[in-house]
Amino acid sequence: MADIVLEINDLHVSVDDVEIIQGLNITINKGEIHAIMGRNGSGKSTLANVLMGHPDYKVTSGSIIYQGNSLLEMEVYERARSGIFLSFQYPSVIPGVQVGTFLRKSINSIKGEHAPSAREFRKLLSEKMVMLDMNKSFLSRYVNDGFSGGEKKRLEILQLLLLEPSLIILDETDSGLDIDALRVVSEGINSVLEYSACLVITHYQRLLDYVKPDHVHAMIGGCFVKSGGPELAHKLEANGYDWLEPKTEVKT
Amino acid sequence: MKSHSEILVPPHSEHLWRYTPWKRMHPTEPHDVPVSRQMSITGAELIPTDLPPSEEISRSLLHEMSKGEELVIANECMTIDIKASGHITASSLKVVAKGHTQLMIRLVGEAGWIGLRIHGEVLSGGSLSVGFVNQLTSDSIFLRSEDWVVHRDARIEHATLSGGGLTCKSDVRVNLVDKGAECAVAAAVYGSEKRHDDHHFEIHHASPNTNSTLISHAACDDSSRSIGTGMLTIDEQCHQSEANQVFRNLLLSEKARAESIPELEVLADDVKAGHGAASAPVNSSQIHYLMSRGMNREEAVGVIAEGFLIDAFREIRNKDVIAFLRDELTLHLQCLVI
Repeated sequence: MADIVLEINDLHVSVDDVEIIQGLNITINKGEIHAIMGRNGSGKSTLANVLMGHPDYKVTSGSIIYQGNSLLEMEVYERARSGIFLSFQYPSVIPGVQVGTFLRKSINSIKGEHAPSAREFRKLLSEKMVMLDMNKSFLSRYVNDGFSGGEKKRLEILQLLLLEPSLIILDETDSGLDIDALRVVSEGINSVLEYSACLVITHYQRLLDYVKPDHVHAMIGGCFVKSGGPELAHKLEANGYDWLEPKTEVKT
Repeated sequence: MKSHSEILVPPHSEHLWRYTPWKRMHPTEPHDVPVSRQMSITGAELIPTDLPPSEEISRSLLHEMSKGEELVIANECMTIDIKASGHITASSLKVVAKGHTQLMIRLVGEAGWIGLRIHGEVLSGGSLSVGFVNQLTSDSIFLRSEDWVVHRDARIEHATLSGGGLTCKSDVRVNLVDKGAECAVAAAVYGSEKRHDDHHFEIHHASPNTNSTLISHAACDDSSRSIGTGMLTIDEQCHQSEANQVFRNLLLSEKARAESIPELEVLADDVKAGHGAASAPVNSSQIHYLMSRGMNREEAVGVIAEGFLIDAFREIRNKDVIAFLRDELTLHLQCLVI
């Protein structure tokens, strides 16, 4: 039997009494990469935020089982500590908090007694920053304060590499990245995928050229209207989403 | 010059004493000049001197209560510890900064009433970075008056971290008297329990081509109260000057209060001047982001508040001063948790 990491059944989610996700189902096994593609407003980022427990999103029905436990019972920080990582589309700016301090606090919070020593942390951090082609001066800057789009995404991926989660959610990680940065960031993502499950939310095929999905889902109106293999991403990139819309019969 | 007993008690309507009346700050009764003990200042060699008299009521009181001492700093970094003990204690310090200097001041102690007056000058072409930390015990009353004169092409960076004492009133004034003079004034105020902290800043552009920034951040928890008032004046002939003042308040509890009143008086035409003030609770997106990185709500709010206070020092260029204040803040917040 496959090692199930995440199982979502008939999920319905509302924001301000407007239903955004309408009966979504998905199962993600360990080692699998699932890509979700869809138009703006189709509910992709809502799903990411629900998985991370954002308080603005209300789950009205359905279940989310993560590693055998109900995710909806868990606080945001408990989800993070249990191995869920969301790479935010728009990560928050935290003025006055240096990146180095923030990373240390995060790794200590998530790994608890298994957190690396200060020396091990410095070594690990140095390795990962080299991997992502990041300058050390980054560490003394304030979290996301004055960062370019690409810098924000690199910092998200640096956290991913340090925290080694078991469920990775990438919410439009490719936006704001130039071609070289996309390659560097993708190599970073691929380096931690072996023991994780991954949900990639994207508008474009270009990230999927590097982070190759096992399954692709097309999302319209808050649910998956078509699922398939990697070829579905190419088809969506070429043809858009109109062909997936439910057809309306015109009576004469 | 009037003696202290001749100076009228300022009315409640006066800008400087609107939120913390003079009566509340006086150690005994208005017009009285009580006997006080001199504070112990270590870390520097001080020479007895006289500070200029003043008809401003708090300066006048401190002038009559304490003996003046002079500190001359020339191209050096200095840390002084001021210890306040006894019932009523006061000191007056004259600072002369030559060349490129930095001065860290740590105020500690458990005195019931503490008064500190500083009168300083940054001489032409020089720079002075001041880091001032108020670490008084939680039931002290603290009155502080500072006046700084900045000469031609000189710069002062003045950063305050205020978290000690029960009732604190600070009045910090900078006078940019010659061309090319600059100042960056910053204050980070942390309020907890019933702490009341009132900071008044006056920056006076008295010469053309002068620049100033003022950033004041207050994070208020429990039923604490912070007041920040600013008066920025640009004189008529002071063209090509630039000035900005910003007050921000972070409200960490429903009972905490914060008031900010920035005021501008611009008499020259060719200048850039701006001011702003904002108060808000902790941003929920920031909390969510930090919680998604494993911190519980309390830890997340603590990190945001600490960062918010440190961010008040963003215009301070001297890294040693920022590191000093950051360490002192971390220590202060850790002590509060314990």
